[in-house]
Amino acid sequence: MIPLERLERNPLITEAGYCRLNRILQHPCAPRWNYVVGDRIESGDLSLVEEYRRRVREDRGPSEGIPPPALLDWVERLRERVPVLRQVLPEGFNLARDWAYVPTMDREDLALRIEQVVPVDEDLSRLIVYDTSGTTGHALRVPHHPRAMAQNQVLIEYALERHGVRPFFGPDTVACVNLGAQEANTVIFANVFTIWNQAGFAKVNLHPKDWGSTEHARAFFREIAPLFLTGDPVGFAELLSWEIPVRPAAILSTATALSEGLKNKLRASLGCPVVDWYSVTETGPIAYACPLGRGLHILPHDIFVEALDAEGHPVREGESGEIAVTGGHNPFVPLLRYRTGDWGRIERSPCPCGEVTPRILDFEGRDPVFFRSAEGSVVNAVDIGRALRRFPVVQHEVVQRADGSCEVALRGVQRLGLDLERVESALRELLGAGIVLSLRLDETLGERLRGRKVQPYRSERAE
Amino acid sequence: MSAEGPQLEKLTRRLAETPEEFLEDPVIGSRGMVRADAVVSDLLQDLGGPPLTDAEAAAFASSDPKRLNQLRLILVAAWLLHDEWFTAAQKYAAQSRAWLSGGLGALAALVAARLFVSDPERREELARLCLSALGLRPQAEAEGQAQDRLNSLSSVEREKVIRATKGQLERARQIREAMKKKAAEEAAAKAVRE
Repeated sequence: MIPLERLERNPLITEAGYCRLNRILQHPCAPRWNYVVGDRIESGDLSLVEEYRRRVREDRGPSEGIPPPALLDWVERLRERVPVLRQVLPEGFNLARDWAYVPTMDREDLALRIEQVVPVDEDLSRLIVYDTSGTTGHALRVPHHPRAMAQNQVLIEYALERHGVRPFFGPDTVACVNLGAQEANTVIFANVFTIWNQAGFAKVNLHPKDWGSTEHARAFFREIAPLFLTGDPVGFAELLSWEIPVRPAAILSTATALSEGLKNKLRASLGCPVVDWYSVTETGPIAYACPLGRGLHILPHDIFVEALDAEGHPVREGESGEIAVTGGHNPFVPLLRYRTGDWGRIERSPCPCGEVTPRILDFEGRDPVFFRSAEGSVVNAVDIGRALRRFPVVQHEVVQRADGSCEVALRGVQRLGLDLERVESALRELLGAGIVLSLRLDETLGERLRGRKVQPYRSERAE
Repeated sequence: MSAEGPQLEKLTRRLAETPEEFLEDPVIGSRGMVRADAVVSDLLQDLGGPPLTDAEAAAFASSDPKRLNQLRLILVAAWLLHDEWFTAAQKYAAQSRAWLSGGLGALAALVAARLFVSDPERREELARLCLSALGLRPQAEAEGQAQDRLNSLSSVEREKVIRATKGQLERARQIREAMKKKAAEEAAAKAVRE
């Protein structure tokens, strides 16, 4: 008998799926679960996810310097439904002719004016919220939809397929484990995914405080045997150092740039493809690594990606610019030239790998940054981001100087005010009471950079 | 609007016949064809006033692409003000400069400049705005009648009403509430995190 509270979270879970979930949750060597969550997929979603699965494959195509007509129509239709589009696109604006002049959106639109971004007639009953990790310099709360999350899983299937991996999902399998390695508290949970045929899933943190022992972690992975792994480079580095016995068919690496050295180690140790995955909370998945190593291919068929200069014009062919995204399938956040804060060069010529979508070359994403506490232990930038997210901070810049002292610049939400003493106390919890720490408010943080993203974390320490 | 101006139909017809060169892209940064500051400066001299000073010209030059539509609208309005009724009077340069530099921003944010050429209602709106800015009313219209008609056509006033509606405020509250709900904050499981 499946309990009601599970059915609320997984409305379409089956008996077999529920068994799978319990086998993960009740495993004697499981991590210390601290969160309960489901996929929230309803029966009405299934046909739409299936349609998306078909369109991801059939509607792919090359793109020129402006979005394809279908996407321009989408923007035109949204103008009447989205206040922020109504404000930036005058009535009668010719999108095809004047695309280069369409104003850009950025994190500030979502942080400060979310009610202007959500379409006026969109049903809010299934709205969910994700917090960004804050590694891009803004702490954001982004409205989302469970169906859009399931559609993102379809994009994972496609990317895996392009790397020769076709997992067979079922209630007797664990589809995937998402790995992190953070000092601060993070959610740790198990779930089953309806659209992956009730296959299991777990999000775990490879930190000693979250396991009985590293031997427990090894036993847990050995028995649940995930078909593939997702996570960030810090988590994968821990996976190797903990000597976790796992043979995934593939690894998707997200969030921060994966060094070639770690990538090669992972390939050698686990014997599977390691796929760079470029995704932003606000946009969802954007690109995946070309199987021939020739950059990152645009992944969803329903977005248009361009590289912009500081003024919002597309950069000249072959030049690097800020990556901006239009489109997407999150019904609550329609994106119009959304500046991601990441940089790269768009290559629209055909790729020998056979993928038809353009590629992002020379991608400059979010480099992993580590700080040292007063006691000398490593503090992950993600943990700093989480600490700052509790406060009304729009952007931040945290710098650790060579002598170990830290300087923090914060741009707050003006009308809410910011209690610097409380922020300082939260940071000291991570960095240690003895750290030399100076905080200042900077209401123009980011503006002086004319579109170039704030470097949210920087360490000048020699490691 | 104390003085009587030209026939309204004469002005709307002139707008409908705006030549292509006034609809070319204005210079913005390194792009575009037509220098709006030069066009306005010539216009002001034709209206009997001095050309733009360097400081005044800055209002009609920009490298910000967000000002594209405003500069386009300035060019269309400059064409309208070149009508012989205004140039013959030789006394509207100061008001014209003020209107072109500060009076079109809000309208440009709402309506594409080309619609003031192609759409009859928007042509009438721009012609009436122009007369109002110059302290004029259309020929053979009473002052109150002219003001009422301008109000009913005003894109800016209409947008103000839309934004101030209770529905919009209520919607913003609903979105904030929906984002605070426990179920929303619990979110849904993600197979891959950003």
